[in-house]
Amino acid sequence: MFATLARLLRGNRDLAVFLGCTALSFSLISLPIGAKETLSRFFAGAVLGPFKRAATAVSELVRVREENVALRKLATELAAERAALVEYKHENERLRDLLRTFVTFPEEQRFEMLPARVVGMPGGRVTERIEIDRGSEHGIRVGMPVVVPEGLVGKVARVSYGRSTVEPLTSATAAVSAVVERTRVRGVVHPRFRSGSELVDWEISYVPARSDVIVGDRVVTSGLGGIYPPGLAIGTVTRVDEGPLTMTIRVRLAVDFATVEQVFVLTGPASGGGGASDVGAMLPENVAAPRTCESEAA
Amino acid sequence: MTVRTFSLLVFAAAVLDAAVAPEIEILGARPDLLVLAAVYGGLLVGSRAATIGGFLMGLVADTELPEYLGLNALAMAAIGYVSAGIWDHLVRTNVFVQCVVLFACSMLHDAVYYVVYYRNHLEMYGRFMLRYGALGGLYTALLGAAVFGLAKVKRWRTIAGDSGW
Repeated sequence: MFATLARLLRGNRDLAVFLGCTALSFSLISLPIGAKETLSRFFAGAVLGPFKRAATAVSELVRVREENVALRKLATELAAERAALVEYKHENERLRDLLRTFVTFPEEQRFEMLPARVVGMPGGRVTERIEIDRGSEHGIRVGMPVVVPEGLVGKVARVSYGRSTVEPLTSATAAVSAVVERTRVRGVVHPRFRSGSELVDWEISYVPARSDVIVGDRVVTSGLGGIYPPGLAIGTVTRVDEGPLTMTIRVRLAVDFATVEQVFVLTGPASGGGGASDVGAMLPENVAAPRTCESEAA
Repeated sequence: MTVRTFSLLVFAAAVLDAAVAPEIEILGARPDLLVLAAVYGGLLVGSRAATIGGFLMGLVADTELPEYLGLNALAMAAIGYVSAGIWDHLVRTNVFVQCVVLFACSMLHDAVYYVVYYRNHLEMYGRFMLRYGALGGLYTALLGAAVFGLAKVKRWRTIAGDSGW
């Protein structure tokens, strides 16, 4: 029988191969499960392992690429969001400063403060006017003082429905009645120009000779003239020149006009509160608390 | 096609079947790329090489499920041998014939493999063959048509012949 089978297979090698494969398959099928697992692990690790790892690496690469695109998009969005948040943070800090300044004082000493944002500052080296985003619609009228925590900015010069123009201390026509805080020496602060309209600095004119003024003295509004309440910081004395009849006092302004972004318009005394003479009480540390007009007059 | 080329085809089919076939599943059915390779192996390189190639591809597939080690190898060897025998009696270069052979061989593979797999739940075997076996066979047959189209474009005469569609 085996001889017949051998003859048959010799004549049909295809069948012999098939039967050989079949026999091998049955041998594998009949192996115990432990041996099958060992064989499979060996075969999968040795033969298929590198290719499976390569396939995994490729799919991982594709996944990482897609993830990278998504992350880049997210990073761009977050950067824009962060920039906006930083801007809000700065604005928040400024407003906090202002708020801290204005709310830590007794109710009766407060002024009605209208916050406004600077929306324009036309002019070259000298700030001639400041545009703010509040107008008659918000109760603003011509002549109202405009302040920041550092001190006096100027006064409202022109009002439209939703906007106003502020005449700052840097304006060529600005002139503010002021006193030296320490000695109550009075004068008028105004810009000083060299020939060719070049602004040099600010000075206090009309101060009698031999008045008690020294470098470093703080200069604040006097309250005279009815526009600015007394005690708003204007600046600091930087130089004193004695003349035969009057002295010329140079002043460095307290407010850096190049960085002003948020201002407050003093629209009037707070309801049930005090008057202009008390405004110093709600100003920041570097804005002098004024003596009252009455005491000044006395 | 030489046996060396066929060996490469066998290997590529084994890798693609493991890596790509699950990704192109439709309605739970996936094409049987190993059957496709074994059937075209029978057509291109003859019975012996197709049988051995089928056996090896089956063995590779068996490593996924060690409990049934040898079962895929048996089914695939059978397909290689049977398909080579079939081609001797049919018009090889006909797309319809190729699709029918692919469908039949895919069903044969599933019939052999899953009858053992579901030996204790034969009622599930029938349902599986109708639901997934037939659909998978159809899918494989459609891929065969695609292979035929490619052969037509590339002028592989052993598969597509000289005549038109």
